[in-house]
Amino acid sequence: MLTTDLKLNSDHVNIVECHDVSLTRNTTEVLCEASCCIPRNSLTFIVGENGTGKSSLALTILGLLPGNDGLICLHSQSSREPVLGYVPQSIDFPKQFKLTVSEYLQYSAEVKNSEIEATLARVDFPLNHIASQITQLSGGQVQKLLLAAELYRKPDVLFLDEPLANVDDSSEKHIIDVILEIRNQGVTIAIITHDWNMVSNYADHVICLNKNFACTSTSACLCKNSLSKVNIKNIQKVTPDPEHMHDGFCYIENI
Amino acid sequence: MFSISFMQRAFIGSFLLSITYGLYGMFIIPRKIGFMADGISHASLLGIAVGLSIGINPLLPALLLAAFLGFLLAYSADSSKVTSDGLIGIFLSGGMSGAIIIMAFMPGYKPDLFSYLFGNLLSIQNVDIYALVVFTIFSIIGFILQWRALVISTIHLDLSKVINLPTTQSKYFLFIGMSIGLILGVKLLGVILISALLITPVMTANQIATSFKGTFIITQLIGFFATFAGIILSYSLDLPPGPTIALLLVAIFVFSLLQSKLSS
Repeated sequence: MLTTDLKLNSDHVNIVECHDVSLTRNTTEVLCEASCCIPRNSLTFIVGENGTGKSSLALTILGLLPGNDGLICLHSQSSREPVLGYVPQSIDFPKQFKLTVSEYLQYSAEVKNSEIEATLARVDFPLNHIASQITQLSGGQVQKLLLAAELYRKPDVLFLDEPLANVDDSSEKHIIDVILEIRNQGVTIAIITHDWNMVSNYADHVICLNKNFACTSTSACLCKNSLSKVNIKNIQKVTPDPEHMHDGFCYIENI
Repeated sequence: MFSISFMQRAFIGSFLLSITYGLYGMFIIPRKIGFMADGISHASLLGIAVGLSIGINPLLPALLLAAFLGFLLAYSADSSKVTSDGLIGIFLSGGMSGAIIIMAFMPGYKPDLFSYLFGNLLSIQNVDIYALVVFTIFSIIGFILQWRALVISTIHLDLSKVINLPTTQSKYFLFIGMSIGLILGVKLLGVILISALLITPVMTANQIATSFKGTFIITQLIGFFATFAGIILSYSLDLPPGPTIALLLVAIFVFSLLQSKLSS
């Protein structure tokens, strides 16, 4: 059974730690004894091939999937539970739900009327769409709206699933700047992505999943198919021994 | 007309029903479970048949049955093995079949049954109005408390859970509350047509409104207008209230659909 352990007033270097987390969905083993960590105030990337369990790992940490086994530790620096945020890759809004952009912000993050424009401007959302229905927005605009709402909630850890997937080139830079800015403000960011340029340019920490395992290794790790294409510097820690990486977990940290 | 006591009860009842059905319908339609209203109301005919056969108020067993079916639907809503629409279909056929079999064992003409099938203004008693008042208060308080959770979980279940909204609680409130509400409206609209008041005003509002708030206001206005006008027509022309109100709602929907197509 998966256990979540909440440690309050903890200055632990990692805000999230997963120990031997296993997850089975519809009889398919998605995660097998995966262990990894998300360092506090870091920009962590969760990478791996399709079907390796990247989103499942994030959803398990968020408490949205009931893991079968293992331990997840959440270290909060304050006396309250850490606020977790999540921006899914896309949302298929029900067409019969006539929610406007401003109404979405009010309901999802309780944004005050007077703060709606500033909240949207932060993620470069076009302000002439404030009264538009969310079903009429483009994929990139939806992504920005979801990000704006989550940022308003001031999360301690924010999980972003492919945040640049539907965003045009001009907005891409702005969203990356926003992500870096909020990381510098003390928010821990975990990004699920296939964008290796982003990983090589901005990662503080990488969790690399391969098949059922989260693997720790050097540049010659199980993610070599992708990692070999980019220049990731200063991989300092390898756990466990790369010789045994197929039998356990592996992740790359301190890039 | 307005001084007759049974008409007063009908107007009060229809006013309360249009408020509550509008609220439940706002979330039932986007979740694509409008068919649930039909399934629950038709299945509850079994409870009505049981009540008639053993000589108690038929709405009591129907209420219990509807609440139970609403609970089962809420419980199975996230199941990967049982789909909601499939389960609703099973409830509908099972309930109707059971009711018809029980009726077959009851001798003679069954005038009461037709009242429950198509509604009857004369059958609305004070106790029905009291029950509706209690239910309306319960529903309004419930919606005030669960509104945010209902909105966000209708859009994206995972987001609602991450925000720590009472997603599961709101789902049970919506499903069970709606099931009970359907039975309380049976005397006005009848089992066969009760879902019209739940579904059609929201569908119509969606053709006109440009915001969620707008949908809410238009839904309430259409529900109130159609039930009010339907009761007047029903009384004046000696028609059953259920089909009269349902036809009015359909006419308004068709008009809004045409208007929406023309303007676009």
